Amino acid sequence: MTTLADPKAERALGRRRWLGRLRGGSASRPVWRQPITVVALTILGGWLLLALLADVLAPYDPLAQSADTYASPSGAHWFGTDSLGRDILSRVVHGARLSIPLALAIVSLALLVGGLLGLVAGYVGRFVDEALMRLTDLVFAFPQIILAMAVTAAFGPNTRNAVLALVIVSWPVYARVIRSAVLSMRGDDYLNAARLLGVGPIRALRRDVLPNSIGPAIVLATLELGNAVLLLAALSFLGLGPRPPAAEWGSMVALGAQDLSMWWVSVFPGLAILTVVMAFNVLGDALRDRLDPRYTKGR
Amino acid sequence: MSVSPRRLLAGASALATLAVLSVSACSAGGSGGNASGTAKTLTVNTSFVLKTLDPGRVYEATGLTAVHALYDTLLTFKGSDVSKPVPALAESYQASPDATTFTFKLRQGVTFADGSPLTADDVVFSLNRLKNIKGSPAVTVSGLTVTKTDDSTVVVASATPDPNIPVVLSMPSTAVLNSKVAKEHGARDGADAAQGDTAQQYLDTNSVGSGPYVLKSYDPSSQVVLEANPKYWGTKPQFSRVVLRNMDVQTQKLTMQRAEAAEISLDISGKLLDGLSGSLQTSGVQDTVYFLFLNADPGVSAVTSNPKFNQALRAAIDYQGIAALYGKGAAPGAGLVAPAFPGALPAGEESKRDVAKAKALLTEAGLTNPTVKFTYPAITYKGVDLGTVATKVQGDAAEAGIKLELNPQPLTTFLDEMRGGKSPLGFTPQSLNYPVADSLINNMAPGQATALRSGWTVERADPAVVAAGKKVTATLDLAGRATAMQEWQRLMNASSPYLVLASNSSIVVATTDLTGADYTAAGWQVDVAAVGRK
Repeated sequence: MTTLADPKAERALGRRRWLGRLRGGSASRPVWRQPITVVALTILGGWLLLALLADVLAPYDPLAQSADTYASPSGAHWFGTDSLGRDILSRVVHGARLSIPLALAIVSLALLVGGLLGLVAGYVGRFVDEALMRLTDLVFAFPQIILAMAVTAAFGPNTRNAVLALVIVSWPVYARVIRSAVLSMRGDDYLNAARLLGVGPIRALRRDVLPNSIGPAIVLATLELGNAVLLLAALSFLGLGPRPPAAEWGSMVALGAQDLSMWWVSVFPGLAILTVVMAFNVLGDALRDRLDPRYTKGR
Repeated sequence: MSVSPRRLLAGASALATLAVLSVSACSAGGSGGNASGTAKTLTVNTSFVLKTLDPGRVYEATGLTAVHALYDTLLTFKGSDVSKPVPALAESYQASPDATTFTFKLRQGVTFADGSPLTADDVVFSLNRLKNIKGSPAVTVSGLTVTKTDDSTVVVASATPDPNIPVVLSMPSTAVLNSKVAKEHGARDGADAAQGDTAQQYLDTNSVGSGPYVLKSYDPSSQVVLEANPKYWGTKPQFSRVVLRNMDVQTQKLTMQRAEAAEISLDISGKLLDGLSGSLQTSGVQDTVYFLFLNADPGVSAVTSNPKFNQALRAAIDYQGIAALYGKGAAPGAGLVAPAFPGALPAGEESKRDVAKAKALLTEAGLTNPTVKFTYPAITYKGVDLGTVATKVQGDAAEAGIKLELNPQPLTTFLDEMRGGKSPLGFTPQSLNYPVADSLINNMAPGQATALRSGWTVERADPAVVAAGKKVTATLDLAGRATAMQEWQRLMNASSPYLVLASNSSIVVATTDLTGADYTAAGWQVDVAAVGRK
């Protein structure tokens, strides 16, 4: 006689699969103790701190113009000044207030939209799945930056539309990941058990399916944070992001790229983008190494 | 989408270190240039604005440079002097006192590149064709009637008095074509030529003129090659070959740094001139003005249509500081006529900043912290990012208590908004198509097409401005016209919707072995046939 497994225990087991890997098995150190990850976390922590305390830490008002234009890095202006005499250090520090929260917003919104649609596609299946997946194909068919440019240009260039455009181009990847996770557990005993016990689809999705499929999506989201910072900078480099005079890293690089003999105008915001994107990627990589069974073999 | 972290990392590094990479790309880019001593070729680097080499249709900068070298006009300008046309195909001309009839005596013995003689019939055919095919440049000759009285005399009559006809007949679009060859390839000059003329394709790849050069090859995306015309009637050019190369401006700068000889660039201007090697020569004139336009229609903006606000904004701007943003060859704003042209306001009449006055005017107007949307095209024009200038204007205005909300737009959107006339405040550069400033009155005087886009009707304008504009067009001698033009600009500065920020130069950068590489505001940028070696 077959017995259905205890749904609670099964569900918990599924969740423990990725939580456990995150903490590290008995053989290896947890993710957050690996040296490279520690460096990445420190950099990100530093940037978050800078963003939070920008008003206190920045030596000047990031928008204040002065007659001291194109001053090279010095004691008064550590990172120099730009064509309008604005202090680049202050602008880079204030830039963190735009780039990091906007990247978080883009990724969270994309995860929310993509996640929900992925859950529905995977759980309901049939024509709903078919329709949603063709929609993702449609978005995948365009290079991300081109589509984002088209959307921003159509809606008008400003911060809100840039974020909107990047959400539009980045949700499908989450939908795909969540859908495949849901598909892989569709026949699982604890889901069948829940259904037999009369649990409705919404509740099943929320209580059982979502917690067990969100893991890979979160790893992906961490990786995508770097991508979001980068895409946002690229959009504003092209003049499609936050409006001037906002201190945004991408537009600061664009301003400096007009005259490369004043290297400091673009190099410092460029380094800011570089460090944040690298840190997010290292962190995402480490999480993925830990959580994806294909990458943990042989360790 | 793949989520390969390596690709992400690569992408991240690529963008973030853009500046660094671009610097290192310098050493890889900037190919080409002349090997030293390969005598006879002159290389002209420019970012192509080129649609056609058909004189009847040419309207773009690169096309004008080439057409001027391939064809002759009745009159022309020498070097960078655009104050007075000098003889070319016409060895002399006479104007009637009422400035409606101009009689041109043609030079004898001029032949086209194929050896056939140039006659009055060719002149009449070419000018009628220009007028009747109704291409972009046709507007300059729309009111003219051209007839020949004998084989060497051509009479050009204007419907309205216009002392600038000689200037118009110096423009490359009025070039004289070999009418026999042109007709064989579909050129027509009749009233219905707009439909009947099919010569453009032929004229894009073949020149049928009498100019110092003939067209060797034409590729509008990469290069245009000219070769010396062995049958040229005038002084033969020193370079037997001229290559116009399409090149973006950053690459031009790098190329010129490494060029050894016989090389010219046409687009390095503004801030790009900074850090240019000292072993290059430059030539330029201030032929571009940059101005703000405030909407005079209270229905669009109660703030910008307020005359006191208009004056307050004028007093708030740091004109010197803005000129500095444009780099070498720039000057603080004075009048709407750029310093290169007759009728410009003299030195010393530049606008000046007075923040206290601006604040006082705002108080008089009863405006506290007025907020205005400020629209401008997000482009780089002649080496200067307009966004940087707009941000500076925003900063200056803020010091006087005026809040400007920057609204950068792609060029096409900006132009649409400008035409729609709904922008409260805008910003644009302006260059003249030919060196006659009077065209500004036809566009920007109250009630004219451009003025109406800023809601500036005759009723909303100071009657003195309207009268001053009429006085300019009614004055028939050119010196008197220039004086009237200055008076008009002073009145415009007092109450018009136009606020001139600065003027800057177009520049020809050349290697030092060259002579005659002078920039001209006449339209063709540089007379390649006049360029020689020391």
